[in-house]
Amino acid sequence: MHRFEATKLLVSHLQDEPVVANLGPTTDELWHVGHRDRNFYTYGSMGLCSSIALGMALTVPDKVVSLDGDGSLLMNMGTIATIGREKPINLVVVVWDNEQWGQTGHQPSHTAAGTDLEQVAKGCGIAKSATVSTLEDLDQVFQQALAEDGPWFIVAKIEETDYLLVSPVEPEATLYRFRGTYKAPEMPGH
Amino acid sequence: MTWAQDLVRCLKGADVSLIAYVPDISIYQATQLMEDDPYFRVVPATREEEAIGIAAGSYAVGRNAAVFMQSSGFGNCVNAIASLCIPCRIPVPLFINLRGQLDEFNIAQVAMGRATRPVLDVLGLPYYTLEDHVSLERTVTGALKLCYASRQPLALCMTPMLHGGKIA
Repeated sequence: MHRFEATKLLVSHLQDEPVVANLGPTTDELWHVGHRDRNFYTYGSMGLCSSIALGMALTVPDKVVSLDGDGSLLMNMGTIATIGREKPINLVVVVWDNEQWGQTGHQPSHTAAGTDLEQVAKGCGIAKSATVSTLEDLDQVFQQALAEDGPWFIVAKIEETDYLLVSPVEPEATLYRFRGTYKAPEMPGH
Repeated sequence: MTWAQDLVRCLKGADVSLIAYVPDISIYQATQLMEDDPYFRVVPATREEEAIGIAAGSYAVGRNAAVFMQSSGFGNCVNAIASLCIPCRIPVPLFINLRGQLDEFNIAQVAMGRATRPVLDVLGLPYYTLEDHVSLERTVTGALKLCYASRQPLALCMTPMLHGGKIA
């Protein structure tokens, strides 16, 4: 399964649900699938994708989708414990697991050496979880995750491919557009 | 009113209702009040950079959020502030208990405690140091207004002169 095809599949099931994308190819490919104002692209802060999504899920009733990565989540595994502690019913974490730090030279990550992120999630009290490696299985479990209370933790095993063009790096505009769908931007001093 | 009660009142005045934090014995006086107050959603994080991510997500959907931490934890979250909050212009008030100040007993706390405000300086972020209860309300209220108007993080550094410190 390739991440771009899988991203297209997930987005095809969404209406206005917010999506937070991990930095790098995950953000680029979500943008290439088609920009939505409710896409929260990230450009730095490696490891914080699912923490950002958690902060959203604790505040709004929408299903919040985090498109995280194995290397990034390994950097902030504590947030899996916080998700398990807070148990937001509206959070869906999808981990694109290519078992490598793809962008830095394809070094094998810890998931290539046996670390099982789904088991970590289960150990943190996240009961709704799955590991999938085909588009068909991802399709089924993602639709279930949108329909049923979570939190959900889905590890999607992917094969790395060539990268698409880097999407526009516009963090300030991303925040402004995204936040504007929830709350009219405020004029300073008013 | 205690300093902690006044601080909580200032947060409510600025519509700050989500608090992400890593515990600290001195600022526990304030975080415990918020844990007990249904106005606040208090989220204990495993690490300070995680708390920054949670607060950023909250602000992105329209809810003001603050982070409470110790100065050691500020060292843990510098990149989150530098590569998320600053470029996205996400205003997160940082309440930092400064270790390495008067009465410090632990040498391991001194360097990061002393480096906290200089690091904020080189990041270009304003900070205010809370040395006493008398000026707390004026300082915190004004700082929160500035934080949201400037759409940048800002720090309120708390010292033993305010909260009594930790006795070894």
